[in-house]
Parts: sequence; structure tokens; C-alpha cells
Amino acid sequence: MINLKELSWSLVIIWASLIAVGLVAIYSATQGPVAEFLPSYIQFNFYKQLISFGIAVLLLIGLQFINPRTFQEGSYVFYGIGILLMILTLLIGKEVNGARSWLVLGPFNLQVSELMKIATILAVANYLTSGRNISAENLKSAIIAVSLIVLPAILIIMQNDMGTAIIFFALIPVVLFWSGLPYGISLFIISPAIIGYLTIISWYWGLIAAIIITLAIFIIQRRTWLTFTSFVTGVLLVIGIQVALNQVLQPHQRARIEAFTNPSFDPQGAGWNVIQAKTAIGSGGIYGKGFLEGTQTQLRFLPEQWTDFIFCVIGEEFGFIGAGFTVLLLLALTLRLLRMASVHKHPFAQLVMVGVLTIFFTHFFINVGSATGLLPVIGIPLPFISYGGSALITNTLMLGICLNLDFYKRQFSIYR
Amino acid sequence: MPSRKKIRTKTSLRVLQVCIILLGLIILGRLFQLQILQYDTYNPLSRENSLRQEVINPARGLIYDRNGNLIVDNQPIYTITVTPASYDPKNTPILAELMDVPVEEVEKRVQEARDYSYYRSSRIFTEVDFETFSIIQESIWQLPGVGHQIESKRDYPIDSLKASHILGYLREVSKEEYLRTESYHLGDKTGKSGLEMAYEEHLRGTLGTKYIKINAMGQNLGPYQDGAIDENPEKGSDLYTTIDTELQLLAEDLMQGKQGAVVALNPDNGAVLSMVSAPEYDIRKLSGRLDKTYWDSINADTTNPLYNRAVSGKQPPGSTFKPLMALMGLELGIITPETEIDNPGYYSRGRRYNDLADPGKYDVGKALQESSNTFFFWLMDKIATQKGLDKWHELATSFGLGRHNNIDIPNEVAGTIPDSTFFNRVLGEGKWGIGDQLSLGVGQGFVAVSPLQMALVAAQIGNGGHKVQPHFVSAIRQNDGTMMLTNPEKDKIEWVDASEISVVKDGMRRVVTEGSGRYYADLDSVKVAGKTGTAQNPHGQDHGWFISFAPVDDPKIAVAVLVENGGYGSISAAPIASLLIEQYLTGEIDRSYVYNYVKTFEPRKQTTDEEEEENIDDQSQGT
Repeated sequence: MINLKELSWSLVIIWASLIAVGLVAIYSATQGPVAEFLPSYIQFNFYKQLISFGIAVLLLIGLQFINPRTFQEGSYVFYGIGILLMILTLLIGKEVNGARSWLVLGPFNLQVSELMKIATILAVANYLTSGRNISAENLKSAIIAVSLIVLPAILIIMQNDMGTAIIFFALIPVVLFWSGLPYGISLFIISPAIIGYLTIISWYWGLIAAIIITLAIFIIQRRTWLTFTSFVTGVLLVIGIQVALNQVLQPHQRARIEAFTNPSFDPQGAGWNVIQAKTAIGSGGIYGKGFLEGTQTQLRFLPEQWTDFIFCVIGEEFGFIGAGFTVLLLLALTLRLLRMASVHKHPFAQLVMVGVLTIFFTHFFINVGSATGLLPVIGIPLPFISYGGSALITNTLMLGICLNLDFYKRQFSIYR
Repeated sequence: MPSRKKIRTKTSLRVLQVCIILLGLIILGRLFQLQILQYDTYNPLSRENSLRQEVINPARGLIYDRNGNLIVDNQPIYTITVTPASYDPKNTPILAELMDVPVEEVEKRVQEARDYSYYRSSRIFTEVDFETFSIIQESIWQLPGVGHQIESKRDYPIDSLKASHILGYLREVSKEEYLRTESYHLGDKTGKSGLEMAYEEHLRGTLGTKYIKINAMGQNLGPYQDGAIDENPEKGSDLYTTIDTELQLLAEDLMQGKQGAVVALNPDNGAVLSMVSAPEYDIRKLSGRLDKTYWDSINADTTNPLYNRAVSGKQPPGSTFKPLMALMGLELGIITPETEIDNPGYYSRGRRYNDLADPGKYDVGKALQESSNTFFFWLMDKIATQKGLDKWHELATSFGLGRHNNIDIPNEVAGTIPDSTFFNRVLGEGKWGIGDQLSLGVGQGFVAVSPLQMALVAAQIGNGGHKVQPHFVSAIRQNDGTMMLTNPEKDKIEWVDASEISVVKDGMRRVVTEGSGRYYADLDSVKVAGKTGTAQNPHGQDHGWFISFAPVDDPKIAVAVLVENGGYGSISAAPIASLLIEQYLTGEIDRSYVYNYVKTFEPRKQTTDEEEEENIDDQSQGT
């Protein structure tokens, strides 16, 4: 019954390659000459990641034996359990790096918010495909779908983990868009991110973006109220961000933004990470300094080089070739999932795949964007590459579910 | 409907594909920009990041006296440094506590270091005592970016020797200086006066550079490329000076509590045997870390201890100028050794110029011996009217007056020997006349000289009219052991004639045997020649002068002494000079009563009775 040719081997290969790249980078970042300056518990990270890899392999294989309908039917249950665990984490969780996002379960530390990504995707996908009248075009169901995403996001914000919360918010426009939200409105809901980003760099770029987006919405949708709302929102956003930057934000928050737009403003403080990260990547050149040869990495100039700044290790030691290859692998991963979604007949599976690829891509873009100084530093890991058992297992679970849905696409479709 | 949904799915797919590829291209483009286009920016940055350049200061050159005794040495001092790039400002309170200084002080110094260089290590605390240094060393692991240097400060092995104006002191270079000169860094020291300043280039040596690998915590990971590109420091050159320590010690002792200056020269070559400017300052207190209270106090002191009176002083020489006048009169043919004039007790030229010497007939020898003003007013009158002031100026300057003599310590002044240009400038063209010139003949009026210049006059008369170059350093020993000898030139002053010199020397000998010098300057063991002087001081008690050389026939030493507010030169300056000569030529002091006299000498309080304006000169012989 199981025909292995049906499995998307290309994705499996990409998955394995990414983990391999990650292991090499983690090895360099924790086992190289730098190990001398690292506390011993960090030196164990490489071996911990190897163990996580082993678990991930078992999970990926194991997942393929599960009935795909389980994901759909159990989605609300998973979601409910997830929310409960999140609340539990808020109450008794362990704080790491300022975020109370770890639940201690005997010998394991579980980052519930990671698993919550899967539960949320499954629940939203299930909801949006559960009835003929439910779609993103319908305002009421759109609001419910958004609420399903926003609820865990709020809990994550309460855990003080802004980076992960951003990932959830990124889900909203993509998922709604895929389930039929009109183009103009889709553009409208992502416009704050674009306008906001450009406003931080320079207010007039933000304004120009607001105008262009308004025009685009007008051309696509031709709805007076939407065009008007878009324009007013854009302008208010530009003004609001300016006011926030200059009046509302606390000095340390402003310093972080300042560090992004102008790292040399405070090279010792907030700008340090950005400068060191860019220096590491830039000094890698075309071919890199070689495995275990990166001075920025091995002399410990990089912050969090086994997690959030792992891309710098790759960039420094393997150069443009290595970094570019990694980027292409991650692009291939998302594009392959997108392709898979588009050929799937079942809308639930489509939406799950789109949600998963959105999470992968958002992680990738924010992580590499932070490391290369394109974005303010937002601490989130690079999927499959950064050290972190919870993240690796969650990501593998997500990918495994997609593979499962794809693998059973014929049977799954018939059940409908 | 399903077809519409299919179309929608297809469009959504395209839109998302385009978005992913677009954003992916942005990332790739960024990588291309950083790694390929800006590689040349970031690659050196990463190298600089992980390399620290450390400056190794060379040992400063030593200074010896004329007998090869070490007088300036180096002593280790411990210095705490900071490398701002690796320093964590959070540690400032810890560092402040260990150093036992206020937090703001540490913050200020770290900021200064940071302004200077972000990657180089800069000194923030110099001359830390060994105990504090050890405490810091124990805590160095929790203070990334904090390091140490073992440096040296100046040490003066001969305890009682001051020689502050000769040796000079070192100070940290100012911001302007280290920004201007490549070879100086924040916290480096440079000579600010004396030999330390004049021979800075020799004493300093060449900086060494060490490159070491460091990590982000500033931990030292050993030499870069095994030290292949390191540069070793080169020790500064040693100075061999002409200072006679014993004589210097005596001179300092004698000048203790007085204001004034002593300069003793070897008449043969201009070597400075001793130079004292009193009051002195304590170079030991200016060595190493700046004692701010002391520094402020010597700067605020109205007696100005930092001022080197021996080379920077400008005083009228009074009667000590007369031997040179006599020589010029003989040279210009205005007088012969036999020329006699009649001294009625004053000189009359438009008005009366008083003379304290007894009335009678005076030739040049007697005029010197008795320091007759009348004779020299007359002589000056003749020179000015017959030969002109500028001729007089030319002859006087050839003895080193009114110009720089290029002694090898800083702040030497030229003084003033007026010529017509000078008078035209100062008094106005056509607005000066014989009245302004007559007082020049007795070393008053506009004549201004330094003790060094008067010592040169004594030396050059003593040596028979040979111009000598005053100097402190006779040889410089370079790091590789080679000796560079300074060869002071000794040229005959062309116009001086041996017979003329002997007349003047004879007159100066008579000053000591029969004139005003006979009380304190005449020695049984050595034939001393000299001339007293009392310089009018409009601000207070007159200044006492004495210039001398001995033995008269073949002088080994020439001394000029100025005692400010000392009154008559014969009782203030002459005993000091004679004691120095006695010590130098006989090796001991026989006349302890003279020594005791000098030690207890109190400059006289200002005279209350108004003296006549013209009563300018040497009253000493009248007593």
C-alpha cells in the first residue's frame, strides 16, 4: 500500500541537507577553537543537536504512518491542549533569556510556543475549510480565523517572546490570502509591515510606500472606502511611528532601532551585534575563511552564534558560496512546499502547507535579514540550522505533516 | 465555482512564488553586497577586531655626570590599561572599587581612552602601587579589556641632588601632541624642561609594537604569527653630561633659601659644571604620577620655582659688566693701560653721575679694582661719541651677551645689549641720546643679561678671549653602544688681544686681592680673579652679582652668581662663588666661616631712605 515513490524525496533531501549544514555550523560555533571561551553546557549543544536530529528522523518516519485525517480531525483538540499548556507555561514556565517560554517536563525542557505553531496552523486550516460558507471572503469567518492566530500570539507576547509572536502575525495575511481574501485587502493588511519598515529607515520612504500601495489597491480593487482607508492608515502609520520613535519608546528600545538604522551610533552597545554580524559575513568573501577558521566566530565576536546568529558562522567560514547555497536550500524548501500545496486537491492540506511554508520563510527571512543588517535584530532561529531541539523537532513535525498530507494526497482527497 | 477557485489558487500560487523569489533575491543581493562588493571593508575590520596592537615603550636613556656617576635612572611603575573595544562599561564600578577611586573618575578615563582609540589599549591609571596592581591582576578575568603595563618612571639615585632645572621633568603628552605626532600615544611621557626636553629625541628611544590575538572578551591568545611582524623597542640613548655632582650639590646647598642663580663653567670648553636656579622644585615629586597638589603649588608660587633663572633670567649685570667695558675701551684705542683720568667723585655730563669710589686719579686697573663709575661713564661716553653705540654692541655681543648661546637646555633668553635699532624701536627715533647710553657703561639701564651669559663673559676673559659653546652633554651613547661625542667649538674672538686681556685679568685679580672681593673671594690656595656687581632693582633690594674665574693664569673654572635682592655683590654673591671655586679646585672647603656665613645670609630688608636716582652702581666698594 505504501509506495515510497509517492514520497517527496526532494523535500527530504533538502531537509537533510539543511540539518547537515546546521550541524557543521553548530560544530564550528561550539566545538571549534572557540570552545575554550564557552561554558561547558554550550559545548554540549552540538551533541544535543545530534540527539535531536535522531529524534527528528524517527519523527519524520513515524509521521508517515499516521492517517492524514487525524491532523484535521484532531486540530481543535491540539489547539485546545496547546492553549492550556501555554497558559501553564505563563504560570510555571522557566525563564530563559528574558522569555518565559519553557515548560519543564521531567528531564525535558519544552518550548510550547513552538508546538503551538503546528496546532495553530492545523486549527486555522481546519476552520477555514470546514464549511461551504466559511472563507476569508466572509468577514465573520475571517475574524474568527484571525482570532485563532492572535490568541496564541498574545499568550506568546505575554511570555515576552516578541520574535515568535511576529511569526504568528505573519501567518495572518498569507493564510487569509490563500483562502480567498481579495487581493486588494490582502495587500492592505500587509501594507503596515512594508510602510512601517520603510518609515523606520526614513519617513518619506514610508510615505511614498503608503501612496504607492494605496494606488495599487485602487487599481486592483477599485473600492473607494478601501482606497481611502488604506491611504489614511498609511499616513497615520508614518506619523505614528515617527511619534513612537521620538516620544514614546524607551531609550533602550530606541537604541535597538537606532542600532539597526545606524550601527555605528553605539558600536559598543546596541550596535555591537549588528556590526560584528555584518563584519563576520562580509569578511567571509566569496569562498569564506574555511571551516573553523573564522576569526569572528572562533574568537567569540559573534553573539549567540549557535542560534540566532548562526548564519554569520556560515557566511564567515564558507563565504558567499556557502551562505548563498544555504539561502537557496531554504528558498527551495519553501518553493517546493508551495508547489506541493498548489497541486494538492484538498484545501485543508493546501492551507496547512502554505501555513508551514510561511513559518519557515518568515523565520528564514527575519533571521538572515537580522544577521545581514537588513532588519532590526529580532532573535529567532534559522529553521533546521540553528541549534535548538524544540525548534528542530517542531520544524520537522511541520515538514513531516506536509509530507504526510502530500504522501496520502490521493487517498486523502477521496475521503472528502 | 470550482473553476474560479482553481484560477484563484493558481494566481495565489504565482503571487506567493513571486514574493518568495523576490525576498530571496533581496537576501542574496545583500549577501553579494556584503561578501563581494564590501569584502574589502569587512575583511580588514575582522582582522583588526581579532588583533590587538600593543605598544611597547622603550626604556628611556639614562643620564650620567662628568665622572660617570648615574644621576637619572628608571624605576618600574605599574600601569593599568584598557582596550575600549573589549571593555564592558558594566565593570566600571568593580574597577573603581579595586582602584579605590570614584566611579566617575574611571568613566572619565575610559571615555578618554575610547575617544583616543577604540581598538588600542590605553593607559588609564599610571603608577599604581604594587599592592593594587596585584589585586587588579587577580580580578583581571572578570574585567575583559583591562590590562596592565609595566613601565618605568624617572628615578634620581643621588638622594640630595636636585638639579631640577638642568634635568627637567616629564609630563604626559597633551592631546594635541599625541594627535600631532605619530610616535606618541595617550599616556606617553615627554620631556617638558631641561635636558629631558632638549634631548627628548635621544632619550626616548624607538617604540616597539607587539601584535597579539585576542578574542571578544579581550583575552590574550598569544602572539600573532608568532611575533613575526612585531617590532622590538629600542632603548633610548644615554647622556654623559658635564655636571660635577659634588659642585652641584654644594651650589644647591649654598643657594638654598635664596633666589638667584649659579652657573659654573669650564672656561676651556664651555662645559657646564654646575647650574642652579633657586628656588628649585622637586623633580622627584614630578616623576611618575602627577602629584596635582604639588604641581599646582609650584605653579602658584610667586617665587616661580619652575623658572630657570640661570638661562631665562634677564637682569642688568651692574659692575660685573666693567671688565668687558675695559677690554672694549682698550681694543677701541680709547684707553691704554696707562690712561688716567681724574675722578672728582662724580661724572658730569649734563648732570652729575655719582661715584662711590674715592676721588683721585684712575687708570683702568684701578678703575676695575675700585669699581669706579666715573671711569666707565667717561669710557662709555667716549665710545658712544667716537665709535658709536653699534660698534660697542658688536663687541659686547661677540662675548655672548644680547644673543642666544645655544646651550642644550630650553628657555634660554638672549637678553639685551642695546644698539641704535633697539633705541629707535623702544625710545623712538631721535628721542634718545647720550644720557640713555652712559648707564650702559656700568651695566645698567637697558642692559639685560642672564647668569649664564655672565659666566660666559668670565670664562672667555679667563681663557684669554676664546669663544666657548656652553653645553651640558659631552657624549651620547646610543643603544648599540656607539658614542657620539659633542665637539664644542672654541674660537678665538678675533678682536681680543692677549695684552688687552692681561690688563683686564690683572684688574679682576686686584678686585679680589685689594678691591671689594677681598673679604670673601680671596683664597690662599688659589689665585682668584673676579668682579662684584650690584644691579639696581626698581622693585626692591638690589641684586648682588659676582663673576670670577680661577686660577687666574690658567682658569679651570669660571663662575657667575646672582643673588636676587642680596644687596652688594661682594657680600651676597662673592662668597658663594669663592666657596664653589675652593671646593672645585682644592676638593674641600677650608673656610667654614664663609660657608656658615653664606648659609645664614639673609638678604637685607629694603632700605628705607630714598637713594638718589643716579646713584646707580656698586656701592660695595664704598663700605
